[in-house]
Amino acid sequence: MLFQQATPDTAGYMIAGYAVLFGVLLVYLTSFFVRFKKLRQDLDILEEFDVGD
Amino acid sequence: MKRNDVKRNSQPATPNSPLANFFRALWAVVWKDLSAEWRSRELLTAMLVFALLVILIFNFALELDARARASVTAGVLWVTFAFAGTLGLNRSMATEKDRGCLDGLLLAPVDRSAIYFGKAVGNLIFMFVVEVIVLPVYSVLYNINLFRPGLLLVILLGSIGYVAVGTLLSTMAVQARTRDILLPILLFPLVVPVMIAAVKASGGFLQNLAWAEVNAWLNILVVYDIIFIAIAFMFFDYVVEE
Amino acid sequence: MQSKPRFLTILDSVTAILFVIAVAMVFFYAPLERTMGQVQKVFYFHVATAWVGMLGFLVAAVVGILYLLKNDCKYDIAGIAAIEISLVFFFIAIIMGSIWARPVWNTWWTWDPRLTTATIVELIYAAYMMLRQGIEDPDRRARFGAVYSILGFLSVPLTFISIRLLRTIHPVVVGDSDPGAEGSFSMTDPMKATFFFSLFTFSVLFVDLFWHRLRMGKLAVVVEELRMKVSA
Repeated sequence: MLFQQATPDTAGYMIAGYAVLFGVLLVYLTSFFVRFKKLRQDLDILEEFDVGD
Repeated sequence: MKRNDVKRNSQPATPNSPLANFFRALWAVVWKDLSAEWRSRELLTAMLVFALLVILIFNFALELDARARASVTAGVLWVTFAFAGTLGLNRSMATEKDRGCLDGLLLAPVDRSAIYFGKAVGNLIFMFVVEVIVLPVYSVLYNINLFRPGLLLVILLGSIGYVAVGTLLSTMAVQARTRDILLPILLFPLVVPVMIAAVKASGGFLQNLAWAEVNAWLNILVVYDIIFIAIAFMFFDYVVEE
Repeated sequence: MQSKPRFLTILDSVTAILFVIAVAMVFFYAPLERTMGQVQKVFYFHVATAWVGMLGFLVAAVVGILYLLKNDCKYDIAGIAAIEISLVFFFIAIIMGSIWARPVWNTWWTWDPRLTTATIVELIYAAYMMLRQGIEDPDRRARFGAVYSILGFLSVPLTFISIRLLRTIHPVVVGDSDPGAEGSFSMTDPMKATFFFSLFTFSVLFVDLFWHRLRMGKLAVVVEELRMKVSA
């Protein structure tokens, strides 16, 4: 017997767990890219100033 | 000068002995804190009033009737000591920083760790004073005898661990922009073992448990004290470096 | 420094492929556990994220020591990088664990030693971030960060021991007194394969993220120096 009657249906919790994983990772990666992009922009602006001097 | 007299009287060892120099410097820092406090009395007054207020608030919040008292006394006491201790640690370091005393101390040709131990001993004395006053007040207010040798030992060990970490962290906290809120946030997660062990050991002694049952908690307190005094001793240099 | 190293691009792709395979293994290869049902599948990534979290905190403590010895700012960049990534992963691990506990232990939360220690660890490193934010001088920020990351890491074993002692003397009221007994299971071979593959994938993911975060940290230092130069 592969599936006993007693096996509870906990798919909802599993989906919630992985939703949290992907959600938090996505938020972190987004913030990561935003910060990186902002630094790059700052660098470009500052380099322009630096050359202009 | 009064301070010099004390130094000379208390340390008759040869002036060139490094250990004697260390203890002389340590004692000078302690004496400076104590005499400054004796003049203003602002730190101890604040700590004491605060501690008593915390106990009062607990009385209303927990409905400390006779039965509840037996089980929560240890917890109430340690929360009170921890809160009052934070107040004292923050203040004692902040005055050093604000009046430029810390820079002066660092310029002195003494071992930096002597400054750390001096501050720590000073903070410990303030904490003991608060505890010595809070304990009888609590005993009278709630009709429970707190003067048991075991409990006093726990308070000694717990306060040492708390102050050892607290002095190091308050030195860091006062140099930050957000210093008023930073110390408890840095300190409390690190002193969780002290708090758990101290509360359980105190509770054990108050309930007259056998020594063997409390022993494990005392061991944790001793180990914590030793580890964190050693760490603070090693790292204090990096925390005050300019 | 500006151009992305080729090996990092390769590592990015490898990480992405490994991650997809790990997810596929969890959902399609790993068998259904009989007593817990689907929720048991949370376990694979829960342990993997917790492992990466602890790994990062260890790395931070080690580079903290190196920073204090060598006084080189690259170790500081590595410290903040490791802790930032680990905070995210540890947070995920705690939430996933809580979701797993709901159907298995019948509660979102118990004051079990591991759960409680994990939360305190998360708070220690949150305090670390606050400490850094409060200090402007980069050198001082690096020194304090290094000291606090070492202090924090060393307090973890004592915290765990004391909480464990607390719980063995006073058993948990909700659920079984030994949480390891309830919700524990023996792993079949496909489960083990999935489990170790997840661990491996997340370790690679950590290295990849860590590398990116290091580059960002270095870029931030360059920008800061340039800003000083321009404004001067």
